[in-house]
Amino acid sequence: MHLTQKLELFPDHAVTQILFRELKNAAELKKSAVEGKINGALINPAMLVSPFQVLVAANKAVHSQKIGKMKTRSLYSEIIFNLSPTNNISEAFKRFGIADGDESVLVVLVHNKDESHHLADITAQVDGLQVPVDEVSSLSDSAKIRKLYKVTPQEEKCGTLLDAVVCRMAIKDVM
Amino acid sequence: MAVAELLSTATLVRQGAEARLYRTEFLGKPTIVKERFPKRYRHRALDEKLTHRRTVQEVRSILRCRKAGISVPVVYFVDYSTHCIFLEEFVGYSTVRDHITSVQRSKSSQDQNLEWLAQRIGQILAKMHDEDVIHGDLTTSNMLLKGGSEDQDSELVLLDFGLSYISVLPEDKGVDLYVLEKAFLSTHPNTEALFQKLLKSYIMSSKKSQVVMKKLDEVRVRGRKRSMVG
Amino acid sequence: IYSISKYATKYLTCPMTVVIGFEGSANKIGIGIIRDGEVLSNPRRTYITPPGQGFMPSDTARHHRAVILTVLKEALDQAGLKPADIDCVAYTKGPGMGAPLVTVALVARTVAQLWGKPLLGVNHCIGHIEMGRLITKANNPTVLYVSGGNTQVIAYSERRYRIFGETIDIAVGNCLDRFARVIKISNDPSPGYNIEQMAKKGSQYVELPYTVKGMDVSFSGILSYIEAMAHKMLSSGQCTAEDLCFSLQETLFTMLVEITERAMAHCGSQEVLIVGGVGCNLRLQEMMGVMCQERGAKLFATDERFCIDNGAMIAQAGWEMFRSGKVTELEDSWITQRYRTDEVEVTWRD
Repeated sequence: MHLTQKLELFPDHAVTQILFRELKNAAELKKSAVEGKINGALINPAMLVSPFQVLVAANKAVHSQKIGKMKTRSLYSEIIFNLSPTNNISEAFKRFGIADGDESVLVVLVHNKDESHHLADITAQVDGLQVPVDEVSSLSDSAKIRKLYKVTPQEEKCGTLLDAVVCRMAIKDVM
Repeated sequence: MAVAELLSTATLVRQGAEARLYRTEFLGKPTIVKERFPKRYRHRALDEKLTHRRTVQEVRSILRCRKAGISVPVVYFVDYSTHCIFLEEFVGYSTVRDHITSVQRSKSSQDQNLEWLAQRIGQILAKMHDEDVIHGDLTTSNMLLKGGSEDQDSELVLLDFGLSYISVLPEDKGVDLYVLEKAFLSTHPNTEALFQKLLKSYIMSSKKSQVVMKKLDEVRVRGRKRSMVG
Repeated sequence: IYSISKYATKYLTCPMTVVIGFEGSANKIGIGIIRDGEVLSNPRRTYITPPGQGFMPSDTARHHRAVILTVLKEALDQAGLKPADIDCVAYTKGPGMGAPLVTVALVARTVAQLWGKPLLGVNHCIGHIEMGRLITKANNPTVLYVSGGNTQVIAYSERRYRIFGETIDIAVGNCLDRFARVIKISNDPSPGYNIEQMAKKGSQYVELPYTVKGMDVSFSGILSYIEAMAHKMLSSGQCTAEDLCFSLQETLFTMLVEITERAMAHCGSQEVLIVGGVGCNLRLQEMMGVMCQERGAKLFATDERFCIDNGAMIAQAGWEMFRSGKVTELEDSWITQRYRTDEVEVTWRD
């Protein structure tokens, strides 16, 4: 049900995404994440169009880490930062991190391509129903996404909402 | 050196003047990597300046065009340390250049077969210039086409924004069209009438075409009147 | 207007064709004789002005008039030929400066009538290209034509030398010459040569404007920048005259190599031929060579004998035209200051 994609640019690394609905312990999870007890990024699925969006953010985070140019303190916070269209870190967490009352969460793990053991650790900490990652699109709040990324109607005539989002994420450093 | 390793296994599509294009898979998607490799003939300081500036200009103009609804490739990832841009691959497209050449070869009522295309190009360039994007290297090789006729749901894509920049000046837009005119007519002999159709469609579509056309004329005259001594 | 004449049909069947070429479109006057690809003679004189000065049309014409008969005698003597051995008299029809062009055309017309030989008006740029092809044996190259008055990237297709890229304002040689005047570099033997020598001693790279538009270039921005800044930079000790020569060459030549490479990529060409006066600059040749190496292409260039304006190049283009059946009637033997490379129908290539 989870989705694992290896990073072609960093062949030792893979990204695993796990999606939960009917989440009961969002506040607890958030607290653990802030304390560094969760080795993963917790993302609000409402702001995600597709798992590809997360892959783009994760690839860029690993890249920034390797060349020593991360803007935030950890790989996981960097993934959340990379999802945002702006360079404001706290804004990124507000929009893309989870909030106390959230009823769903996407967990992102970056790991060695052979290890999947702490998948179970994470799953154990989440009180929710695991569903296929592709269902993330049914949880997205397209109106909110369009507003945050400032996607124009004419732009969606020549491409998808995902295209619009990914392009902004990839380019935001030079805007 | 992650990018270098990936490129060593990727397929080299072609080596343009600016960069090498590779085909590969990236995050599971078919992707084109545009690598601006160091040009050894250039002084190092100049090379670094040009390479960095062009990488940045290219991705900026791409986003600006997309926002305006102009079809250009999606950027997936940019590595400014190796000057590589990871771009959406367009499968099943041909260059406008190849399309025109093949229609001209087939010789059956060519003008009609290409008129709609000239019109489409004019419209898209008008839209681009109205957004103040100057492409900087307009040729029929830098345009992709899907669906080779008017009736089909055809799509025209602009590529290669490495020499692009943002400008409101009619002069810059005029020169942009002048560059296309010369590349168009030298690449496709006997297409003067077709190019006029393109310009006419540009004039009809752009809000600011009048001043741009005036500048285009000025640039042409400058070319013709230029002293050729020596 | 050309037409197939009684002369041409005769020489089409004759194996050896001797053409004499007259060139004087700028500050060089040259007369060369070609016999079926062999340069029999190619004497030349250059009108050299004092530092800080360019050459004016009337002075240049006066110079050419004063020496042209001496040069003609040299050309015949060195070739060991008599007028009777000549089959056709070729001269530069344009482009170039009016007064010098007229001077040279007048002499060419006169000797053609005296000797009873057909005339041929030749495009100066085509002369450079055909001479380059003859000397280097390049087959179907992308041509970079760089001189005092021209900057063009040319490729052949469907009976024309088509201009894919060119300057949208001044020529590269003009930019170099005018820079030389600003900082009073000698015109002897040529400003470009002296800049090249000084550039070898330069080391500091000074950033200059860089303007490439697709396959076109613009040099006027660089020139006005350096005209405005040169004296300030030199007097403040920010850089030396040698550094400026070095930086100017690096910048201008990078632009030229870039548009040449873009045209090659566009045309799918794997050969480059550099012609024109600026083309004998060894730094330009070196940079072009590196570019070619990087894309598996081949560079062809010639030295100052054939790069710089000369009579043999007019004779060679004339030879090709003559062999393809063209001559210029006397009443059509005028000159023109503007004459684009792509105006000429290339009747001698497939």
